Amino acid sequence: MTFANPWMLLGAFAALIPVLVHLFDRRRPRPHPFGAISFVLRSQRRTASRLKLKRLLLYTLRTLILLGLPIALARPQLVRDAQAATASRGAAATAIVLDASMSMQFADRERLFERGREQARQALADLLPDEPATLLLCNAEAQPPPVPDFNRGRLRAAIDGAKPSFGISEMSRCMNFAARALEDSPLPGKRLVVISDLAAHAFRLDLPPPTIQGPKGERIRPEVIVRDAANGAASLPNRAVVDLKIDPSPGGGPRAFQFTFTVRNFSEQPVKDLEAALKISDQVVAKGFLDIPAHGAAKKTLIHTFSSGGAYPGEVSISPDYLPADDRRAFVVHLPRQLQALVVNGEPSPIRYRDEAFFVDAALTAAGSPVQELIRDPESAFREPFDRYDLLFFLNVSAPPPDVARRVIEFVQRGGGLLISMGDRVEPEAYNKLLGAILPRGLRMVKTAVPTEASEPEASAAKIKEVAFDHVLFLPFSGKAREGLTSARFFKYMLLEPAQTSVGSAASSEVLATFDDGAPALAFARRGQGRVLLYTSTVDRDWTDLPLRTSFLPLIQRFGSFLSGSLEERDEAKARVGAMVPLTASAPQAISLVRSPSGAPVPLQKRDDGTAVVGPIAEPGLHQVFNTSGEPIPELSFAAGLEASESDLTRLKPEELSAYFGEETMRASVADAQPQHVPFWTWLIVGAAIAFFLEGVLLRK
Amino acid sequence: MDLLNAETLVRLSSVKLRARAVVDGVLTGLHKSPHQGQSVEFAEHKEYAPGDEIRHLDWKAYGKFDKYYVKRFEHETNLRGLIVIDSSGSMGYRSIAMSKLEVACTLAGALAYLLVRQQDAAGLVVSHGEVVTDLPSRATAGHLPVVLDALDRLTPGGYTDLVRTADQLAEIASRRSLIMIFSDLFDDRAEALKRLLQLRARKNDVAVFHLLDPAELTFPFDDLTLFLSMEDERKLEVNPREIKRSYLTELQAFLSQVRGSCAEADVDYELVRTDERLDSVLLRFLARRQGRQR
Repeated sequence: MTFANPWMLLGAFAALIPVLVHLFDRRRPRPHPFGAISFVLRSQRRTASRLKLKRLLLYTLRTLILLGLPIALARPQLVRDAQAATASRGAAATAIVLDASMSMQFADRERLFERGREQARQALADLLPDEPATLLLCNAEAQPPPVPDFNRGRLRAAIDGAKPSFGISEMSRCMNFAARALEDSPLPGKRLVVISDLAAHAFRLDLPPPTIQGPKGERIRPEVIVRDAANGAASLPNRAVVDLKIDPSPGGGPRAFQFTFTVRNFSEQPVKDLEAALKISDQVVAKGFLDIPAHGAAKKTLIHTFSSGGAYPGEVSISPDYLPADDRRAFVVHLPRQLQALVVNGEPSPIRYRDEAFFVDAALTAAGSPVQELIRDPESAFREPFDRYDLLFFLNVSAPPPDVARRVIEFVQRGGGLLISMGDRVEPEAYNKLLGAILPRGLRMVKTAVPTEASEPEASAAKIKEVAFDHVLFLPFSGKAREGLTSARFFKYMLLEPAQTSVGSAASSEVLATFDDGAPALAFARRGQGRVLLYTSTVDRDWTDLPLRTSFLPLIQRFGSFLSGSLEERDEAKARVGAMVPLTASAPQAISLVRSPSGAPVPLQKRDDGTAVVGPIAEPGLHQVFNTSGEPIPELSFAAGLEASESDLTRLKPEELSAYFGEETMRASVADAQPQHVPFWTWLIVGAAIAFFLEGVLLRK
Repeated sequence: MDLLNAETLVRLSSVKLRARAVVDGVLTGLHKSPHQGQSVEFAEHKEYAPGDEIRHLDWKAYGKFDKYYVKRFEHETNLRGLIVIDSSGSMGYRSIAMSKLEVACTLAGALAYLLVRQQDAAGLVVSHGEVVTDLPSRATAGHLPVVLDALDRLTPGGYTDLVRTADQLAEIASRRSLIMIFSDLFDDRAEALKRLLQLRARKNDVAVFHLLDPAELTFPFDDLTLFLSMEDERKLEVNPREIKRSYLTELQAFLSQVRGSCAEADVDYELVRTDERLDSVLLRFLARRQGRQR
């Protein structure tokens, strides 16, 4: 007999209450002188024997009620002796395969894995003394088990110490491992005991069932006993966060990110108003609700704006269900620090609005700007050490001296961002010669669309015709915001050399916007680890009225963010449970230790070049990386996600299992095994109710 | 204000006052003496026999018929009433304002009033196990206070012994007396009531006032109770709810047996609940007496 809530049995002590009341009842009767005491005495004599019987019955019934209720609440189940079923077939070498996948963490009152362990112990106890056995814990790292032996203590200890994993388990593969171990047993009988939640994704029914090589080399099927850890439940309803995508939020500023996550409903019932939350650094910063159809999915986007740069751990989560492990997904958002830009003003002017950097200065100093700027004329700017800056803005700057040009190239190659805007001081030949290695395209000549001194120059000025609005740079420009770009007038612009088809530096450039005559308005190229943007008109009003447009300010700020790489899409949840994760650290931050969310160290393989490979990852959630000094390296921390397929708990049907293993080999199937647990607590409740009723009847008598 | 309920009567300090209060509510002269005696109201003629009163000879009839006839008269003052009160311990039981003994004394006092008021004789016998008070029947006005004082002094005690009381009454009571017995009749012996009723066989008129407390009739107890005897050392701890039905059955059987025995012996029987109006009890009794005489 087994009990679902064994601690409830403590309530059986209540059965002692009638005895104790009888023994220690010190109620003092009220004395009452009475004239007709003769009748009382006669009545008492007449009813004494009947009262004695009634009291005995009452005592018995009350004891039964007080004994029956706690036992019923403990939910007892009679376990039919499975040994009788197996003994008749003779001794057999037995391999027990215990499913240890994440889905076994499903807990409806009791965790499936605990039930599975109990069933494994039971299977072990059911063995005949002359039956050797072995155990295979089926998780992602499952290996062939040892040959069956008679060391029951070792197997029991292995069962006691078994833990469910967060990964997937391929039961078909594990059953093959177990069958292979059975081959080495000299006993002719072979038996596989499979203990699982029977989640369909773990069984490859398209592959042949496990077989064992017989003494003559023929393939024979072992007897298969399937024990259902879910006790024949029709379904195991589950909801899970199966995907997470983190993008910069269009229009939300440089540090606004949108967290788009997908929640799947793996159950027969639709879900309404499921609460979802976004947590950053253990603080809930946004909440939302989802409606998900049965066996469907829904997406939700929550937005958060970070106040400063740095690495931010967080998670998206939904209201927990029976399998809470997949109800959350962790992430780490890496935000660049405040960018430092050196703005080289090629044409300073004492009249502020005529200054070349006037409009750029206004854009970069506006609220929410990710860039902190320093404006210098070329002479003093070229004396600045470029290493202190993330970005260089060349605004109508005549070609720098060769040594400065070399420093600029090195700056870009090492990861710096460079924006070059045109103007009357830009000499195409000198630029091509000195900075040609990093320019997206070579400069050719200045084209005048319409002279500025012409009457109504705006009417015939050039306009931007095509813009790669799907590029991350232009994501904020949607709807009417696009008009700010496309309605700008350009009187002059620099023509660029055509794209080279040969493999070379210029081949990797791309044009992000063009004028109505097809000439590039904005070209981009990655050079080394850095980026270069080439804007073919001016950032003041000399060649265009774009600086007067509302789109100029966000455009310049986006230039800064884009050149520093902070607008790149971030797939932070790339690390998966069971996978290896490569890590790269600069020399001063040599990696020494990686800890899982539970604090356990994760296997780490260090390489000579300072990189390391971590894994296999065993747990979902935030993993922290520590340097040799024991200090955390926030920028290397990462979050591991779960395999979405493990959240699908759709179960195999008994007939599918029977068809797969064969009716003959699967004698103790799910259907047979199911009645082995005979719940009789309902009968106890009925018995207690009847006893209660009888007690009431007796009391009325 | 209703002066005749138990709660009001119990406030009157003496039996005398209580009896007067009851009598005032009862019509007087409802009964006539069944015996002939000295009176002015002619009843019939009887042929003279030696020993008859010479002064009752009807000389006019002698003149007409030439035979001696004696006049006989109906008279209202020739009844000898004997009030018998059981003052055993059980009569002291009360669950309401008045005990059974107090009710018995009040009723007895009222009847004594009525008797004396009609020139009838009234006597009193008090018994608990044995006769402790014996006041012979007299019709004088001075006798009434004696009877009432004796009633006033009564306290419950002793035990019920109807057999002995009946034996002693047989000696005390002269023939043709009206014996009014006030008792709860709680004597377990089978022959007890029979012996009492045998007084009727001695040409006495017997009336039994069977006094019972409402609690004795309904047994309204719930909690665990230690019942103590009021006459001896018997006691019993019992859950009253468990035996209530059996008790009521026993009591009803007892009442049926008493009622049946009285009817058989041609004895007036009045079951008196101590919580009912006492004038109603007396009126009921007197009405029944009047009915018997017709």
